[in-house]
Amino acid sequence: MHISDGLLPAKVCITGYAITGGLTWYSLRQIDRRSTSTEDIPKASLLTAAFFAASAIRFPLPPGSLHLVLNGALGVVLDCYAFPAVLVGLFFQALVFGHGGLTTLGINAVIMGVPALLASFIFKLRRLIKGQSSRATFVFSFLAGVSGVGLSALLFFSLVITMVPAELDASLEQTAALVLLLSHGPLMLLEGLFTAMLVSFLARMKPEVIPE
Amino acid sequence: MLHEIDRYVHLNSWMHRWRPRPKLVGLGTLIFAFAMVEDLRLVPAMLGVTAVLYTIATLPLSFLLHQLRYPGFFILGVVLLLPLVSGETILWQWGPIALHSEGVSAMVLIVCRFFSILTLGLIILGTSPFSATIKAMRSLGLPHVLADMMLLSYRYLFEFAQMLTTMQQAMKLRGFKAPSRLALRELMSHLRRLASLMGTLLIRSYEQSLRSYQAMGLRGYGAAAPHSPGQSPPSSLWNGSALIVMLMVSAGFVLSDFL
Repeated sequence: MHISDGLLPAKVCITGYAITGGLTWYSLRQIDRRSTSTEDIPKASLLTAAFFAASAIRFPLPPGSLHLVLNGALGVVLDCYAFPAVLVGLFFQALVFGHGGLTTLGINAVIMGVPALLASFIFKLRRLIKGQSSRATFVFSFLAGVSGVGLSALLFFSLVITMVPAELDASLEQTAALVLLLSHGPLMLLEGLFTAMLVSFLARMKPEVIPE
Repeated sequence: MLHEIDRYVHLNSWMHRWRPRPKLVGLGTLIFAFAMVEDLRLVPAMLGVTAVLYTIATLPLSFLLHQLRYPGFFILGVVLLLPLVSGETILWQWGPIALHSEGVSAMVLIVCRFFSILTLGLIILGTSPFSATIKAMRSLGLPHVLADMMLLSYRYLFEFAQMLTTMQQAMKLRGFKAPSRLALRELMSHLRRLASLMGTLLIRSYEQSLRSYQAMGLRGYGAAAPHSPGQSPPSSLWNGSALIVMLMVSAGFVLSDFL
């Protein structure tokens, strides 16, 4: 779900960088407010590297297989470090695998990072439930996973279909966007379940990994 | 660990001798100028400038082809349909299949822009050590949190990828197999195993981060840096003039596209 160099007009790339700049500033301000910001940087960095490595995990869906997006899980685990982590991860993906690109780094960060921030916010809502049971952790991390990949797919397909083709028929654009989005329904469900299972595992085995 | 991208930083071309900071500014500006190209007549000039810069960098062609492999397939997958679905002026028709002039133009423009931008990105990253490029970004205003995260993540990225491979092999040796048929129960139990696998990787990386932080703390991480008189490296004629040339070429592309 990354847009490559050369696909989008420069004004869209620059707008992407502007939004990314604003969101990075917001995230860094949240990080600075923490008393443990220096201690948290190595944690966030190594967890970012682990998420990046884990993005290579393939889930078999016979006859093929698919990669999970994991931005919802990243939002849940990294909290205010989620957006900088997405930015760093995308930079490495452009660098190491050639996925995405340098001019589209900003817009790709918006596509993946905004849903990660939303997922983090949704997961925090579990605090509203007294006692914070393991069931609440499962449900809210499921919702975080679903919304993370769902919003990313919506942003990605909307941008690719409306910005790339030179003169595409408007009704064809809408149909293509709808079909592509609906085709991601099973992936959203899978991503939600995976995030819920992952967060429940962490809550049982190492609860300090999950932010309060 | 020396990654593929750092493989040719030891070469001694003009591009390798160009300091990372002006190189980042000069080639970065050119990358954005290329992203702004909308006029097909500028495409040969764009490809020509790219070829000249890659030749100056003396990076092997195999390096470029290797890096182009995956993104090249992706971009072709995206734009190959454009001539068929985009535009009104028909160039060629066979039954219901028609090639449109506007779609072909858009495809050529996107592919050439992609190739030029990716090549310039490789020149920036392939002719200076990764740490020097991050340092140059830091000097250009990259926040220290992002710079530290980039360097630390890069340090552990390949180590964790190797750890994951080892863990996956261990799972296979213990008899865990991916389901070969579309059975919901089997798929769910495999998903749970993968979640545990990733959870274990996250816990290991978290524990490694605690040890790394302690080691970094002993080396002074987080303390105020001692004040030292600014020692900027001497500016050479090549560094300054190359930057001016790149900025002029970039301005030339932007202005030509507007005219």
